[in-house]
Amino acid sequence: MSSPSQPGRSALVAKLTRPVARPMAATYRWVDERMGISDLTHQLLYEATPRRGAWAYSLGSATLIIIVLQIVTGMFLLWTYVPSTTEAWESLNFIEHHDEFAAIVRGMHLWGAYVLLIIIGLHMIRTFVSGSYKKPRELNWIVGVLLFLMVLGLGITGAMLPWDQAAYWTAIVVTHVVDYIPLLGNWMQQILRGGPQMGPETLTRFFAIHIWLLPALLVPLIGLHLVLLRRHGEHGSWVNYEGVETEPEEVRKERMAKAEYPYPAIPSDPGYAVPVDLDDFFPSQVFKDAVVSFALVLIIFIMAVVVGAPLERAANPAALNYVPTPEWFFLPLDQLLVQFPQAWMIPVGVFVVPGIGTTLLILVPFLDRSPEREPWRRPEVMVPALFATLFLIFEALLAVNRLFNL
Amino acid sequence: MADHSQELAKQRLSRRRFMIMTINGVGAGTALLIGAPIVGSVLSPVFAKRRTPWVLVADIGQVPVGVPTAYVVNLPINEGWAVPPVPRTVYVVKLNLLGQVEMLTLSNVCTHMQCDVHWDINLKAFLCPCHGGLYSIDGTNVGGPPPWPLFRYQHKLVGNTLYVRNVLTGA
Repeated sequence: MSSPSQPGRSALVAKLTRPVARPMAATYRWVDERMGISDLTHQLLYEATPRRGAWAYSLGSATLIIIVLQIVTGMFLLWTYVPSTTEAWESLNFIEHHDEFAAIVRGMHLWGAYVLLIIIGLHMIRTFVSGSYKKPRELNWIVGVLLFLMVLGLGITGAMLPWDQAAYWTAIVVTHVVDYIPLLGNWMQQILRGGPQMGPETLTRFFAIHIWLLPALLVPLIGLHLVLLRRHGEHGSWVNYEGVETEPEEVRKERMAKAEYPYPAIPSDPGYAVPVDLDDFFPSQVFKDAVVSFALVLIIFIMAVVVGAPLERAANPAALNYVPTPEWFFLPLDQLLVQFPQAWMIPVGVFVVPGIGTTLLILVPFLDRSPEREPWRRPEVMVPALFATLFLIFEALLAVNRLFNL
Repeated sequence: MADHSQELAKQRLSRRRFMIMTINGVGAGTALLIGAPIVGSVLSPVFAKRRTPWVLVADIGQVPVGVPTAYVVNLPINEGWAVPPVPRTVYVVKLNLLGQVEMLTLSNVCTHMQCDVHWDINLKAFLCPCHGGLYSIDGTNVGGPPPWPLFRYQHKLVGNTLYVRNVLTGA
């Protein structure tokens, strides 16, 4: 709180601002007494965070900032967008041609989604390489994987909403994929489409899933992700423990003795309980987070202004010369559809292969349980993960080659 | 004295148990009251009744034998509320089978992922642009991932005038 005798502030300024500053300070004290804002702010801002590798830690907060950007831009897209098969395309076409600022908002929502998926991918790779998913942080890895799957769901449902050609055929394929689920598939397809065929209810359903159902699940899960992060301390990476294995017992004891709350909330391996070098969350980590997030939002803004969001022709189920292409983040899955032909193989490509991949991703903390976090000393998980990543890129490239040479 | 307090504790416990059971029961009841209509509304498309009226396609007397000819038909959509009919493509295929002309009304919906197939003159086959599915002129799946032949619209001929309705049958 500002006091009139703060250093660096001239007496004149203090005198002039006094009529405003004093009641403001008094109001703050009144509210603080009843709500405990100061305590909360202290708890939130002065947590011990790692000094080393902290730029890499900014990917998580960047993810959060872009999700907030998505929610805010999404709210304002609803000022014009109409979730109706007869009007959705018209309303967006209006935005694109008669409302330049709304077109930028729409562009930011699209490019925000693209950047978000890339940043989540990097965040996941960072967590994997640094071994941060290890005990006691296994559950937070799983929550993170669920959040990633939800964002993919938001991406694919969002891609259907413009009801242009790209959106229509995305909706066709996505809702038909579930038809291949044994026994229940046909029902599920009807539930998603509002009937056996695409109709007006298909769009309202995916609209509802996109703006309410998935966000309503996503936001609390983000809360859980952050609560677990705080509970275990923000220093899961091996860089925060370099040299710990070799240091003498007395040095370690001294380090442990100097350790301050909130870590080690749950000491797992003594060597990984107390990180080597820490700093306050505010301002040292917030500074890095803010710079990275700003850079990303700037990229999103520039892409929204320069490239914008495309709007193809309105959905036309009778068009014979249209080549549907999936969103880039679904290219590997689309390629699997080609590689598993014939009736009994299709469910393998649609569910079994992606299902095994997702299950392995969720089980990562239980497959790699040794306390070792240094990436070079755990090739048994790093090498398969590298191959899995290369496989996804390879599949995406195959799909690009197929779709753009047809 | 001890007996009395134990009796009291038992009583308290049963009172406590009663309340816990009530909380559980009332909670389940609340969930059921809210959940049942929601589940019903989610499942309603599965049980909805649909009308499939006959729709005029065209006079197909001039369609040559051996050349799949695409007609755009505005099929009424029977899902949800009334919206304008949606244009769909019907391929009319006349085949000369042992001197007898057979007429097929093929749906151009790929049986793999339901993208729109089109007759490719160079390939002499129906080609699906999504995943490269191929069908021969009579709709038989001959290449790529499609698991089944192209479906056929139910049709009727009045003279040379073709009518179809939005009911698909297997080959």
